[in-house]
Amino acid sequence: MARKLTVVISQGQSANPIKRKLEEDLVTALLGEPGLELTVVPHLYDLAPDGTGMLCLQSVAGDMVVASWLFARATHWLLDRNGIRGQPGQTLLVQDESDEEDEGEADQSEADAKPRVIDTRPLPERRIYCLDLKAYREAQPYADEIRRIRNERAVQTITLLGLPATAAAVNSAEPAPPVASLQAIMAVPAPDASQRIDEDTARRWYPVIDYSRCTNCLECIDFCLFGVYGIDRVDTILVEQPDNCRKGCPACSRVCPESAIIFPQHKTPAIAGSPVGEAGSLKIDLSKLFGAPDALEVAVLERDVELVAAGRDAVGMQVGIPKRQTTKAAGPRDELDALIDELDGYSL
Amino acid sequence: MSGERVFMMGKFAARFPTDRKYAKNHMWARAEGAGYRFGFSAYAVRLLQDVYFLEWSIDAGAALREKQAIGAIESSKAESELYCPMAGRLVAFNEVLLQDPSAINVDTYGAGWLFDMTGSGQSLLEPDDYLEHLADAWKIAERTIKGQFNED
Repeated sequence: MARKLTVVISQGQSANPIKRKLEEDLVTALLGEPGLELTVVPHLYDLAPDGTGMLCLQSVAGDMVVASWLFARATHWLLDRNGIRGQPGQTLLVQDESDEEDEGEADQSEADAKPRVIDTRPLPERRIYCLDLKAYREAQPYADEIRRIRNERAVQTITLLGLPATAAAVNSAEPAPPVASLQAIMAVPAPDASQRIDEDTARRWYPVIDYSRCTNCLECIDFCLFGVYGIDRVDTILVEQPDNCRKGCPACSRVCPESAIIFPQHKTPAIAGSPVGEAGSLKIDLSKLFGAPDALEVAVLERDVELVAAGRDAVGMQVGIPKRQTTKAAGPRDELDALIDELDGYSL
Repeated sequence: MSGERVFMMGKFAARFPTDRKYAKNHMWARAEGAGYRFGFSAYAVRLLQDVYFLEWSIDAGAALREKQAIGAIESSKAESELYCPMAGRLVAFNEVLLQDPSAINVDTYGAGWLFDMTGSGQSLLEPDDYLEHLADAWKIAERTIKGQFNED
């Protein structure tokens, strides 16, 4: 089917005129372009699960581009959690390249062949392209990339089905029922195939699980003592009560052995879902040498602070601490192992 | 009408009402019930200029230490972490600012308030003491600002 490509622009929380201008420039650049359907929503992370914004995005059946002020990985899995699922679309924007390849269905022939949750939960065929608005300061690269994606799809459609224009016209004349009812509720006739969703949002704070990394080891559910995590019908971890999460606390993400837990608004890029790629791993953080507590110690401290703040008792290392080393597979040693050994060699 | 003190930041006259106390991290503190209402002082607002975004990393009800990190701010001139001005318990945030922080600039000593806290406030300064503190702080701020401009 040659549907229009849905383009979602998620606004930032900041009133920074530079950021607002980028959003508006992007809308202006794409408005009236053939083959695109624009929707502007408030900041994705703050959208209520049953709010107008999410309902609108859930009603989109075809391919979509989602541009937001979040790392692409965070956007992808945030949407996934809200039932907006699809294959990660390949984008040529620099920041996301390595990441998107990572997430493709084909394994990158990595030695690490651990089963991931995503293996048992195939993504629907449609594509979701996540663009990170933090990557460029102007709207131009995003507009160009969105046109490229549209053209790429058009080529595929012609070869497969022929005459995409006719099909698109039929499609826009008879929008799918959920879209129609939504537009009726909002009394927006969607002129120029663009719409703005105004939803009163409040700031939220909760984790997002990257199922392409998650191995369902359940360490997070053991560690978090605030009832954020739960298990679905097939015993897979999920963020069940996101709003139970303690504002600002990223402790479970530090405990996760696969770095699968994202807090999209955290100051540390690795926790906020930055692409984990070559660039990051070239540099080695030596802060441990200089006495920084390890991730688990930090997580335990953060959790204790939240427990005390909630009027409960600190538990320290007593509860939900992973016994990681005991189950560690004796895999082949890599350069990092060698480096760690070297570090251990220093008498500190 | 209560009085005010003036501190010259270059050619800019920063004004400080004397009906309240001040914290060393450039917040005003007006006694209210069992605690204080806090907001940015004119000195802080002048350095920040237009505030675009305000975010708190703690929830209302939290017990806080002085200088504990509690949030972040983005303005036309700066991005900065924010720290707690005194030991005590945070009672409520000014929720209006989360959607639209412009009141910080428009009505710094009134509608631009940031949060309410309970606590003794023994570390807070009287206006005259705050002005003395500013004299030192301003020298450092000038150096910092100039230093950053030179790098550009």
